Amino acid sequence: MMSWVKSASLNSEDVFDENADELHLQSKEWTSNMKKRVMDGYVDGVDAGEEASLQVGFNLGFKEGAAQTVAVGRLRGILGAVWCWCQIQHPERPVPTPVTDLLQRVTEHETQIMEDIRKALENPPPSVSDVSESMDALDVEQEDPSLCRDGGSGPCCNKRDENMDVDNPHQNQKIRSGSTSCSSSPGEGLHLLLQCCMDLASELGLPQELMDHIHELGNIDRMSSMF
Amino acid sequence: MEMPGVHPADDLFDSIILADEKFRGEGYQEGFEKGTRRGLQDGRRHGASHGAKLSSEISFYYGFAVTWKCLLQQSTDDKSRKRVKALDAVLALIQNCNLDDPQSEKLQDETEKLRAKFRQVCSMLNIPTDFRDYIKVAEGTSF
Repeated sequence: MMSWVKSASLNSEDVFDENADELHLQSKEWTSNMKKRVMDGYVDGVDAGEEASLQVGFNLGFKEGAAQTVAVGRLRGILGAVWCWCQIQHPERPVPTPVTDLLQRVTEHETQIMEDIRKALENPPPSVSDVSESMDALDVEQEDPSLCRDGGSGPCCNKRDENMDVDNPHQNQKIRSGSTSCSSSPGEGLHLLLQCCMDLASELGLPQELMDHIHELGNIDRMSSMF
Repeated sequence: MEMPGVHPADDLFDSIILADEKFRGEGYQEGFEKGTRRGLQDGRRHGASHGAKLSSEISFYYGFAVTWKCLLQQSTDDKSRKRVKALDAVLALIQNCNLDDPQSEKLQDETEKLRAKFRQVCSMLNIPTDFRDYIKVAEGTSF
């Protein structure tokens, strides 16, 4: 009697198991189909989102980028004009070295600003999701300033560098470029160049109105650094 | 009394379609957000590069013109007055270059006009050719 009950219940379990397998398969197929739907939607969504926002981003970036070169561009124009003025006034002798030198330095400073913008284009900073996926990357970002202070030459830095070569070449590049340029941030650099230009203008006895224009560039730069 | 969902088969079919749309819609929403973020970032970086270039060129013209105006205002002869007038024209054209809207055709037109006027001013001022070569490097920003 008990054995019959046992076998019956076993049988029913077997039957149930078969159904369960069938159900399991169906639900697996269902899940995989729905996952596919989600992926299809996702891909379409990414395309649509990009298309909708690219121009908006471009316009925004355009304004930001433009603000970064107003002061330095004007300073280069001022020095360019002074350089030409010197040469036209005294064609018989070379343009005074301080004028040529300062024009050169301002040109280099501007090239550096452009270069920094171009670099950001090539090595986009990791997006928020990328960062949270990799806590290592987050650590690196926090270590960055200390790397700058000791010039990135300590033994710990070298070790870190080795790790990075394997793990995250992008981050590695970022650190290297950061540590070479930390001696002068763009804002400070321009401030110094403006001062040099003021000194030079007064040495050459250039009009006060021009001095005012040079002075004004400091305010423009402070406004653009808000970005 | 009629119960809601009298045709269970239809109901099931509807819910399959609904589920299909629902999952697709969920994926789309998530993708759209990701795509929007990416588009904004990419666009912003490219825009920054272009904006910095064009602004550098126009700002150079501004500094150059303003300085020459200051230097020439000390002399009152006819030639200088003519030159100052041409420099004023350059400065007026710069006022028209509104960098807030990079998409506008007006900005492209005004930039072209400004470049032409600036070249004209350079020859009026007898700017040395080697310096004009130096200026040329900054020209030709594409939109």
